Amino acid sequence: MSTLTLILVVLAIGVVGFVVVRQRAMSSADGDARNLHSLPFYYGSNALIFACVPAFLLMILWLILQPILINNAVSSSIPDSAIAEGGSRGLVMSDVRRVADGLNTAVQEGQMTEEMARDMRVDFTNVRDRLGEVGVALGSNVTETTLNAAQRYRSLDARYGLFMALAVLALAACGVTLAYTQTDRDFRARNTVEATVRVLLIFASTIAILTTVGIIFSLLFETINFFRQYSWTDFFFSTNWSPNFRGNSDLGILPLLWGTLYISFIALLVAVPIGLFAAIYLSEYAGPKLRSVAKPAIEILAGIPTIVYGLFALVTVGPFLRDYFAEPTGFGGSASSVMTAGLVMGIMLIPFVSSLSDDIINAVPQSLRDGSLGLGATQSETIRQVILPAALPGIVGAVLLAASRAIGETMIVVLGAGAAARLSLNPFEAMTTVTVKIVSQLTGDTDFSSPETLVAFALGLTLFVMTLGLNVFALFIVRKYREQYE
Amino acid sequence: MEDMHVMTSAMSTQNDTKISARNVQVYYADNHAIKDVDVDIQDKTVTAFIGPSGCGKSTFLRCINRMNDTIDVARVEGDILLDGEDIYDRKVDPVQLRAKVGMVFQKPNPFPKSIYDNVAYGPKIHGLAKNKADLDDIVEKALRRGAIWDEVKDRLDAPGTGLSGGQQQRLCIARAIATEPEVLLMDEPCSALDPIATAQVEELIDELRRNYSVVIVTHSMQQAARVSQKTAFFHLGYLVEYDDTDTIFNRPQDNRTESYISGKIG
Repeated sequence: MSTLTLILVVLAIGVVGFVVVRQRAMSSADGDARNLHSLPFYYGSNALIFACVPAFLLMILWLILQPILINNAVSSSIPDSAIAEGGSRGLVMSDVRRVADGLNTAVQEGQMTEEMARDMRVDFTNVRDRLGEVGVALGSNVTETTLNAAQRYRSLDARYGLFMALAVLALAACGVTLAYTQTDRDFRARNTVEATVRVLLIFASTIAILTTVGIIFSLLFETINFFRQYSWTDFFFSTNWSPNFRGNSDLGILPLLWGTLYISFIALLVAVPIGLFAAIYLSEYAGPKLRSVAKPAIEILAGIPTIVYGLFALVTVGPFLRDYFAEPTGFGGSASSVMTAGLVMGIMLIPFVSSLSDDIINAVPQSLRDGSLGLGATQSETIRQVILPAALPGIVGAVLLAASRAIGETMIVVLGAGAAARLSLNPFEAMTTVTVKIVSQLTGDTDFSSPETLVAFALGLTLFVMTLGLNVFALFIVRKYREQYE
Repeated sequence: MEDMHVMTSAMSTQNDTKISARNVQVYYADNHAIKDVDVDIQDKTVTAFIGPSGCGKSTFLRCINRMNDTIDVARVEGDILLDGEDIYDRKVDPVQLRAKVGMVFQKPNPFPKSIYDNVAYGPKIHGLAKNKADLDDIVEKALRRGAIWDEVKDRLDAPGTGLSGGQQQRLCIARAIATEPEVLLMDEPCSALDPIATAQVEELIDELRRNYSVVIVTHSMQQAARVSQKTAFFHLGYLVEYDDTDTIFNRPQDNRTESYISGKIG
């Protein structure tokens, strides 16, 4: 029985349970829903939950454990002699799995009967070619050991699959029976259903947190690996970045960090005033008609992919800055520059700042505006002295969020600022950022365990800590000053 | 023309009329909210506007300092004269007008600033203080007249939003009188307050009468009777009756006034 069918059958049991239990609840209340503790719907839902939730949980657990168990069983049955020189047990096992999957596919597509697949022999059939016909490509010819292991794999898989189906169905049936026996007019079905919903909500919110933790750990372990091979003082304090794929690289983060901060700084210098002024205009001065057009128009900027901004930087802004500013003033002759990337990134960030600030300014109560205008303040005095101070924490939060976007931006920097790691104050020189170097270190053709590759994780973790710090700080500011006008 | 102007001013001092409205109409988009209102509000008097919800009393109050200008769809017709000058004249800057005609709102709305800065806000904007000491003086005077000085004198740097509801409202009144207005408009200033705070604010209103013309919108007829000398009854956008408070409450001329006062409509 395939997993999908199993899911459908369990759901069907649940639906039947829903109907039957709902009926039972109604009959226990003499046909009048008012005599029930909860609405009939809740009794039915309770049965559905009892049928599906434990069954599906068991199924998920089983589907996670089954391949591991089978893998261990099959893997231990492969003799050491079958493992080719320079290969490993893992490689043989992956071949085994592919052959097994291939046979399953062949049977499913009707290319082979079940008997043919089971009785296949290496001496009579070219398994590699037969499997190639159904779209499973194998790197080498299939040996007898591999085929035998694959057959064993298939049979175990089928047997365990049957066990799982039986267990899951039994659990679903038990669930419905339990719900059925529980059901009478005093049973608090509504409370159990709501408790289940609460667990679901808790589960959803935990996933996000657990993912963050998972990301941190995956970065952390690789970073620890890196620091075993490379001194951390050199990483954090060296001013030279020159990775060398033959080893002996200088992997100092400072030039990258400088590039990141410099470009982000210019980006914010562009985005914050423009975004904030746009927000003030839209929320305080613009009429409803203009606002309804202009606000979405600005937000379109947020929907443009950053690679497109990068192209804009590469073909338009970069050459323009070089021809009209950098070259005439003698600052440099490179189209890729901190200024180019900063300007374009700033444009990208405008909608972040303006849209968030606009919402925040709108959230300032009208009564404060009235109070200020009623004292004879002009609109601009009201904005400067009452509304902006009241909205400030939110605006700071918006700016910090924009800043963490800027720090994490990659594409605009690659195309706009180039890839040269450099410590320089000249904004018309090419520089690069942490993110760009992460990409280039990971896309190189190097050994995955060399410091030149692992440095990407250390860079990533540094970046993560920085943006996390900024976000935490932003949240802190927003929280601390939020209640002021509520 | 010049003579006329002098004459009206002379007349208004004679009758002590501070604000005089003639044939005022207010529209919110298509909704005709105020119809043909004529009223003369006297100086150094508390005038109460009473009437059922939605009768236009707050709308009319907001006409007197042109707060309706901040609502896009609102349109005001007719004449409102303050000391004989049309406040809807093109020469008049609404911002200047609002400095002369202060307003206290229904819900206390202190700015998210310190108590001191709340009160100093108006004087700073209008440049009423020559130096810091002068400003301190103005703030203290306003807070004293707002009957809140004793409660806040030790914590002028604390945020105004941290005060209790009644204190906040008195702070807002102090803030309004710090700009030295000539008229003080109060839009249900006690509706968010408990009885003790209400009593304090009412006492304060009585105090303010010595210096200002006070116009108060209220839903409480007892309050109108307690604090005002003149009362205007609004109904469905019309000014139904306007007379001495005693007369309105004891011998109303109009049936509608009588019904409202005795609780039959409202």
